[in-house]
Amino acid sequence: MSEIPRSMEATGAGAVARVAQRRRAQPSGWWGMALLIATEATLFSCLIATYFYLRFENTEWPIGGIEKPSVTLPLVFTAMLVATCGPVFLAVRAAKRGAPGRAWWWLALAFAVQATYLGLQIWLFADDLGKFSPSDNAYGSIYFTLLGTHHAHVAVGLLLDVWLLWKLARGITNYRLIALRVTAIYWYFVSIAAVAVVLTQLYPSL
Amino acid sequence: MLVAAGIVFLGAVALLVLARVRRDEPGLPLFGENERANTALVLAFGIAVPVVVLSALFVIANLVLLSDTDAPAADETALTVEVVGHQWWWEANYPESGVRTANEIHIPDRTSVNVVVHSADVIHSFWVPELNRKIDTIPGRTNRVELYAEEPGVYRGQCAEFCGLQHAHMALRVYAEPAADFRRWLTQQAEPARTAGLGGEAALGKRYFMENACAGCHTISGTQAEGTIGPDLTHIASRDTIAADTLENTPANLYRWIQNPQSIKPGDKMPGLGLGARKFHAIVAYLSELR
Amino acid sequence: MAVAVPREGQRRTERLERIWKESSGLLGWLTTVDHKRIGILYFFTSLFFFAAGGVEALLIRTQLIAPNQSTLDPATFNEMMSTHGTTMIFFFVVPMSLGAFGNYLLPLMIGARDMAFPRLNALSYWIFLCAGTFLYVGVFTGNAPNAGWFNYVPLASRTYSPGPGIDFYALSLIFIGISTTAGAINAIVTILKLRAPGMSLNRMPLFCFAFLAVSFALVFALPALTTALVLLELQRMLGFHFYDVVFGGNTLLWQNLFWIFGHPEVYIIILPAFGIATSIIPTFVRRRMVAFPLVALAEILVAFLGFGVWAHHMFAVGLANSTAIYFAAASLVIVIPSGIQLFAWITTILTGTPRFQTPLLWIIGFIIVFILGGLSGITFAAIPFDQQLTDTYYVVAHFHYVIFGAAVFPLIGGIYYWFPKVSGRMYHEGWGKASFWFTFVGMNVTFFPMHILGLAGMPRRDYTYPPDMGWSALNLIETIGSYLLAVGLLSVFVNLAISLFRGERVGNDPWGGDTLEWSTSSPPPEYNYAVIPTVSSPYAMWDREDRERDAELLEQGRKTLEEGHETAASTAVDAEWDEVLDMPSHSPWPPLLALAMAGLFTFVLLERWIAAAIFIGVMLAVLAAWHGGEPQEA
Ligand code: HEA
Ligand code: HEA
Ligand code: HEC
Ligand code: CUA
Ligand SMILES: [Cu+2]
Repeated sequence: MSEIPRSMEATGAGAVARVAQRRRAQPSGWWGMALLIATEATLFSCLIATYFYLRFENTEWPIGGIEKPSVTLPLVFTAMLVATCGPVFLAVRAAKRGAPGRAWWWLALAFAVQATYLGLQIWLFADDLGKFSPSDNAYGSIYFTLLGTHHAHVAVGLLLDVWLLWKLARGITNYRLIALRVTAIYWYFVSIAAVAVVLTQLYPSL
Repeated sequence: MLVAAGIVFLGAVALLVLARVRRDEPGLPLFGENERANTALVLAFGIAVPVVVLSALFVIANLVLLSDTDAPAADETALTVEVVGHQWWWEANYPESGVRTANEIHIPDRTSVNVVVHSADVIHSFWVPELNRKIDTIPGRTNRVELYAEEPGVYRGQCAEFCGLQHAHMALRVYAEPAADFRRWLTQQAEPARTAGLGGEAALGKRYFMENACAGCHTISGTQAEGTIGPDLTHIASRDTIAADTLENTPANLYRWIQNPQSIKPGDKMPGLGLGARKFHAIVAYLSELR
Repeated sequence: MAVAVPREGQRRTERLERIWKESSGLLGWLTTVDHKRIGILYFFTSLFFFAAGGVEALLIRTQLIAPNQSTLDPATFNEMMSTHGTTMIFFFVVPMSLGAFGNYLLPLMIGARDMAFPRLNALSYWIFLCAGTFLYVGVFTGNAPNAGWFNYVPLASRTYSPGPGIDFYALSLIFIGISTTAGAINAIVTILKLRAPGMSLNRMPLFCFAFLAVSFALVFALPALTTALVLLELQRMLGFHFYDVVFGGNTLLWQNLFWIFGHPEVYIIILPAFGIATSIIPTFVRRRMVAFPLVALAEILVAFLGFGVWAHHMFAVGLANSTAIYFAAASLVIVIPSGIQLFAWITTILTGTPRFQTPLLWIIGFIIVFILGGLSGITFAAIPFDQQLTDTYYVVAHFHYVIFGAAVFPLIGGIYYWFPKVSGRMYHEGWGKASFWFTFVGMNVTFFPMHILGLAGMPRRDYTYPPDMGWSALNLIETIGSYLLAVGLLSVFVNLAISLFRGERVGNDPWGGDTLEWSTSSPPPEYNYAVIPTVSSPYAMWDREDRERDAELLEQGRKTLEEGHETAASTAVDAEWDEVLDMPSHSPWPPLLALAMAGLFTFVLLERWIAAAIFIGVMLAVLAAWHGGEPQEA
């Protein structure tokens, strides 16, 4: 049936844009990522629930005289990560409109900020490790586990970015556009998770 | 409840039998081929009947029964017993009188007893089926349950939460006795262990007990044995059973037990010490004196 | 298409055949992405685990045949008991239903040519195989898990379980969790996106609704288990303190996380069975399901409500009364969707003209047993009653009725029902019926007395029991029952194994089946359907005109998608045709990735962190290779 697009054959910027415009439903890849996000979000909910469960089963929090977390830096860094949703969004828009070059640059910008974010977070993490350790007590355990899980998600996102940047540098296809859209919603999720995580992390100081 | 369940079950089976009988005729009996009647049937049995049955069940079981069998407040009870689950035996303390015993709990009959449970290691569950429901003993938590015996008698209880190798051999007994008997028992248990007038063999046994690892794990009050890993043996001879209701407390069984506990409860926390028959016999003689 | 295919159509099917052909032989199976082949792999692997779990069950029963036996020492008994539960739940029922039945049938029922993500599908299978092997390496090296299938802490902590048995348990479950999550996501996207154009949600078979509900439940339930297990391993291996009271941890944290997963899991186990029942019943009673929309809704409700009742497994931990009462009430609410489905089946059978052939017999057995098991489940919602009976054989009776009777019977019924489709041959009806009666009687003889034992106070997970409790006779009966059961099940598989070679050949549709899979040949060709089928009701196979139209379309070469590995993708709700997808073909990467992951898990188990990190590197390399090519470049 000729009127139905063979979308995977779209390999030039224009063709890709046409497919994107004509689409009536989200592609399979989008659904796949949405569901992956659903499980991962549940995973974060479980960890955060664990944090508060442990919190309310203890009278003292943080346990054992551990310093309360300092607020400013984590919040600033999180704001930084959330801000990258902008360039990610613009990258998708550009790609959908048939401008893969611009998409590449937006994504590269997002990548740079996200990578910086992860670097800074790891630095903070190491700094915290100097002060207390996950094997001190339950507070330390859940604190580092929650942050570590979040950072792992950021790292996965960075890998997706790298792979995409490499792919997009060689032109756009329908497949790559879907990959870009999928990566974008992944980053939106990671940003939201970052907010939830940082609020939990800072809870004793708020 | 079982009656309600029975009716539901038989009703459903009857419908299936009917289906078999009428296998060549389409449609419902009486109503025939009628989609609305079909749906109505589903709704009636699937929603209406359960709602009614379950509401009744819920109110009776969870609102009435539950509060009736709750643990009594501490100040309303005549007696508090503290029970501690260990891998694989039960420690029982009577805080008011300082009595400490194991695996055999005495309570006065017709009295609601407040049992406070803890755990020394993993999760166990304290359960005397004839006296009340079960309650888990959980590290870091204190739970309570009421024990109430209408009739004097011996009630068997058992650990109900899987707790490792010897979960199967972690039973206990509750002795419900008339109040006077209970008082007498309590007074007797509060005494320190007998030290004077031990026969020759028993005195020897006492020495072996104190010299060997036994004293490091068991307490015999009034002696230098103050271990807390195993059951208090101060009045071991007054108990009917040993090793958490696994063996009857006879000298022969006592010997079997201390000589090789691992053959009776494989994996148990009490090791066989290999002291040799002579010493073990002497220890048994000593333990048999500890009434 | 029972009519002979005229020449033009013949040419097209041959062309499709060429396009979709996978290599034969071992390599073909290793690199396959065909959902039917993967389904078959799933089937045999999970059947193997069923046999393993069954042998463990028989050992348990043999040990309990009489008081104070020593067929198994306590350590072995605990290992068998724990491995039995773990194997049956994680490595048999779920892979069998979602992996074998879901994989094989979902694309066929919705008129698609493959799953939405064929390579991910293969990956799920290979991970499942590796994770199961991983667990059984533990079992065979004397490191079987031994803290029960719900593995409560602190018993499962290093202090009380120092050996690696618990690590085998935890890591293998994290591992298979990845497979199950991937499988569930795949199933959801397949159902939502690949339905034949025209199969809007209200025209989708109830089977697919059940699998949709299950898959969603898995997506949201598994993370709780994964969290619990990861925290456990962090505690065991790296000295973290989540469950450790001395350092501010909490023992009940494990129980909450486990049962937040665990209760949805039991509905995950039963829902595919519901789906199978709703496929078999209409075929054998020759009428559509009564109250179709209600049943669809009920299937989804069961999965959804299952998330709100977890603490009914914890009534004896000393919950506040108000909490306990809430969870009891929530447990009662679940009766309603179960009741709706149950009476919808019964009414359908009653109003139809049933043929009592083997598949329907299993379903009727299932209905009877499910009512009994469901009713005993309901009795737990009376809190005082539960506090008496929890952790006794009454619970064991309840869940074997609902799991073995209610979840496994339909699976077996389904195996009989679809056997002709998959193999192209018919099983032996007489033996089929005999096997049912053996198993049905054996099942009740084995598990019914457990109710009484529970009421008489016999705790579960006891490796032996004293002779003077009055439990001996019933235990003996149970053990005899379990042997009967084993004979019954064995006769199922012997019957099928012989029929596979000797059975009478069958055509496309030996039953007068209700759903699309019966319209294609038995066994179906690689591409499933030469023409993307036309659908105008959930009982597509009974819409004669639609099927005739398919044959015409084939002649005219319309909707045949013969330019490549193609299938149709539709909008999620209305199933309007949206695009033509190019599906990936055979690939070596899924099994390799699974192997690399197995390496990772092995070295984590051994606590060799550097080697583990290297395997993460290998995984990334495999992933990069996997994603090197794109469909349009192939
Ligand atoms: C397939 C799996 C499956 C299914 C479907 C169910 C179904 C149900 N289960 Fe079960 N359950 C398990 C598997 C399952 N269970 C397992 C594995 C365990 C033990 C885990 C372990 O400890 O190892 C367990 C344990 C378990 C417990 C904890 C017991 C304990 O350890 O103390 C409870 C408590 O409430 C419970 C309740 C229920 C209820 C209310 C249902 C309901 O969904 C049942 C609803 C169905 C019906 C009621 C029948 C049909 C309806 C009608 C005929 C309508 C009319 C009915 C009435 C008017 C009542 N189950
Ligand atoms: C799907 C779930 C499932 C299934 C099907 C079964 C099936 C059986 N179970 Fe299972 N059981 C559990 C899940 C299941 N069980 C769980 C979760 C527990 C709790 C564990 C715990 O407490 O932690 C448990 C516990 C449990 C106990 C209690 C142990 C205890 O508390 O101490 C007992 C005791 O009798 C038992 C018996 C049986 C028996 C006799 C069968 C029989 O039905 C088995 C019959 C099967 C066979 C005999 C295999 C036949 C297979 C073939 C013939 C295939 C042939 C194919 C090839 C050769 C390739 N089970
Ligand atoms: C390492 C610790 C340890 C040592 C050493 C030890 N025991 Fe024990 N003992 C235990 C434990 C623990 C139990 C409870 C066993 C059970 O029932 O599972 C026990 C139980 C007993 C009992 C049964 C008590 C009852 O009421 O059930 C007796 C009697 C006993 N020990 C005597 C001895 C003697 C005599 C010795 C020395 C020869 C000894 N024990 C050495 C730990 C020890
Ligand atoms: Cu203690 Cu089971
Ligand atoms: Cu449940």
